[in-house]
Amino acid sequence: MTNHEKPAEAVVQLTRVTKRFGATTALDGASLTVRRGEIVVLLGLSGSGKSTLLRHVDGLELPTEGAVEVLGQNVPELDGRRLRSLRSKVGFIFQQFELVPSLSVLENVLTGSLATARGPRLGLWSYGRSAKLAALGHLDRVGLLDRAYQRADTLSGGQQQRVAIARALMQNPEILLADEPVASLDPESSDQVMALIREIALDRGLTVLCSLHQVDLALSWADRIVGLRHGEVVLDTETQGLTKSQVMEIYGRVATSTRQLAAIEVELLTDAATDSVR
Amino acid sequence: MSTVTRTPARPGAPTTAGSDTEAEKAEQEALAARAPRRRISPERIAAALTIVALLVASVFALAGIGINPAKMAQSWSNAERFFGRVGAISFPEPGELLYLTGLTLGLVICGTLLAAVISVPVAYLAASNTTPGNAWRAAARFVGVLTRAIPDVVFAMVFVLIFSLGTLPGILAIGIHSIGMISKLFADAIEQIDEGPRLAVRAAGGSRMQEFTAGVLPQVLPSWIATVLHRNDINLRGSVILGYVGVVGLGMQMSFAFKSLDYGLGLGYAVVIFILCVIMELVSSAVRAAMLGIAPTGRGLGDRMLRGIRRGRPVRAGAQTGAGRPAPTATPAAALEAALRRPWSRGRIRTAVWGWLAVAVVIGSILICDIAWGDLATVWAKIPAIAVQFWPPSFGSYDVETMLGAMGETIAIALAATLLTLIVSIVVGSLAARNVAPSPGVRAGTRFLLVVVRGIPEIILAIMLIVISGLGTQAGTIALAIGGVGLLGKLLADSFEEVKAGPERALTATGASRLQVYAGATLPQGTRALIGNTFYMLDTNIRCATLLGIVGAGGVGYYLLNASQGSNYGTVTAIVLMILVTVLIVEGLAMWMRRVFR
Repeated sequence: MTNHEKPAEAVVQLTRVTKRFGATTALDGASLTVRRGEIVVLLGLSGSGKSTLLRHVDGLELPTEGAVEVLGQNVPELDGRRLRSLRSKVGFIFQQFELVPSLSVLENVLTGSLATARGPRLGLWSYGRSAKLAALGHLDRVGLLDRAYQRADTLSGGQQQRVAIARALMQNPEILLADEPVASLDPESSDQVMALIREIALDRGLTVLCSLHQVDLALSWADRIVGLRHGEVVLDTETQGLTKSQVMEIYGRVATSTRQLAAIEVELLTDAATDSVR
Repeated sequence: MSTVTRTPARPGAPTTAGSDTEAEKAEQEALAARAPRRRISPERIAAALTIVALLVASVFALAGIGINPAKMAQSWSNAERFFGRVGAISFPEPGELLYLTGLTLGLVICGTLLAAVISVPVAYLAASNTTPGNAWRAAARFVGVLTRAIPDVVFAMVFVLIFSLGTLPGILAIGIHSIGMISKLFADAIEQIDEGPRLAVRAAGGSRMQEFTAGVLPQVLPSWIATVLHRNDINLRGSVILGYVGVVGLGMQMSFAFKSLDYGLGLGYAVVIFILCVIMELVSSAVRAAMLGIAPTGRGLGDRMLRGIRRGRPVRAGAQTGAGRPAPTATPAAALEAALRRPWSRGRIRTAVWGWLAVAVVIGSILICDIAWGDLATVWAKIPAIAVQFWPPSFGSYDVETMLGAMGETIAIALAATLLTLIVSIVVGSLAARNVAPSPGVRAGTRFLLVVVRGIPEIILAIMLIVISGLGTQAGTIALAIGGVGLLGKLLADSFEEVKAGPERALTATGASRLQVYAGATLPQGTRALIGNTFYMLDTNIRCATLLGIVGAGGVGYYLLNASQGSNYGTVTAIVLMILVTVLIVEGLAMWMRRVFR
């Protein structure tokens, strides 16, 4: 959804955000603007600060320096209830799914509605009929309606991640954050899950910010790529119309070790060779 | 891998044929000089010395108590004379017996439940990952340690004074004393959860309360229920002693029978309680195993079976739904309505049956206890007057030496019993471990034996031994030692089964015999748990030994009962303080050991 007439409003705005955990610096003056409806991938190796950046958007971490503005609200300033209300508008999908293994699939989805439901809930009976219907609808959307009453830990990894997506939909989110959503999945399930996230985002006009470490997957999936290295933004580009050498430059920027760079150069050379043969 | 490379270091292994040439000798010396010196922290040395000192003390205690086969044989003739004098064991009439059994069970269940309910907030405050602050945490831990350190008998003595007769003193005594253990284990379970689901609830905008109910509670529930069942067994065994200080139930009737010298009837009650405890232990072991089997611990028998069944399932399921396409076909609202009806799967039926059964048991317990709720309101006015009687602490008519001697005797009993338990448990516990036992049959047999032994109430065993053999301290020590094997043997067997299988396989691969594998891989990996569990045993035995005196098995308990019955409440306070200090020292020692040998 990049071909808007005029640019949509910014829903996520990080300005020179620095985050330190003791002696280590996870984010180092990172700035990022995401507009409504954009599908953006954060690209980088593990330890590059992708997760920390995502957690700032949801107020799960507070910046050491810099400003975080999400949906027009200054996140570090929000207190208890207003922070929870903001979080309820931001869905979060985790690498490890983070379902409660002993609960049923349906109840796991229903936990997405806790912010609006208010008060402690335990057991299916404690949720209202309309909430349950909505949850079943979302389960149907991710293709798992028939699993509603099974325990979450009886599902495969890909299925569990789809349940987690349904849980995020239960929040009726405006923004969807995904932290390495397919890093724990086999290639086939990971294709399904990525396709599902994109379909749902386009259907509902969601803004998506998703962290990945696979360059090829990011290139084929995102509208825009933001590269992170050592907590710094080193790359910010649209994916449409990239040339091969630009792509290789992306690989080069995101990679850190000299060995990886060497491997990329070899690939570039062989690619160039095959291109010239053609 | 590391174990394999380390094995040649065994004495004798490295000497090769021509190693005594000068050059090679020099080379070896140079190597020895280069090798780093083994460094042991002073704390570890201190801890090791403490263990040695405790072992020596235990041996002396055992010798001092004078348990020897000759005496045991002699006591058998006492037993013959005893049965000759008393005649047969007699039982009360069935109706009364049934009511008393129900009353005892109900009282214990109510008390345990009370403790469980109070323990939830205490554990929430005490667990490092849920506590709102360090001050809260310290306060919650203090509550746990204090309630655990004061014996339930003492609580019962106080509550019997405050309340008119009835079940409330017993319920409250059990309820308050059990908070210590239950809240500790509840908090441990909270600390072991997977933080992910909790984070997910927070990310979705859930409040702290919702994080707990949706993210924490479902994860800890199976372990919590197992803890409560476990504590309920302990409380049932302990309820006997409460009868001696005036808490209604089987224990009280038994103490009356013994007091009126009706030994036959007293022993009859003892046999009933004995059987009741063993049955309870069997039932709750089965329930715990079934429940923890489907919990994420993944180690239970049920879980392994489930995993076996599940192995093929996801494949079939995937094929069935066509997982490839999360089809966006709009399902009509009617289909969603239909999906609202939760199918009665086997799992749901089982949960529902157990759930309603539990509710029925709880309601039945409350009804049979016939709790005088009114007392709870009127009692507060009486408290100041009674509290005054307990202060200041004094030894009254006893001199300090007598009391310290009695406390020393209690400690000696605990030490001696722990030593006996340890020796037997290493053998039995090893035989009950899957990776050590020579055959599955031996393991299953030993495990069953352990469950039965665990069900034996130490106090009842002590009473029976005392009454029958006429011995005091010795009978108490043996009773404690036998009871301990049930617990320590199981803990050791579990810890042996939990050791990493890799080193065992590696040793087997080098051609080591079964015994060598056991000594070289299993035992070293289990040592830490062995030390920790033995100190836990000592901790438990000290508490239990203070109570043995109440039934005439020597130590400080005798004076405690005397002081309470003679209304010398200052003396009760003094003895309780003495017990408290001892228990806290042992508990501190146990914590230190667990930390040093982590």
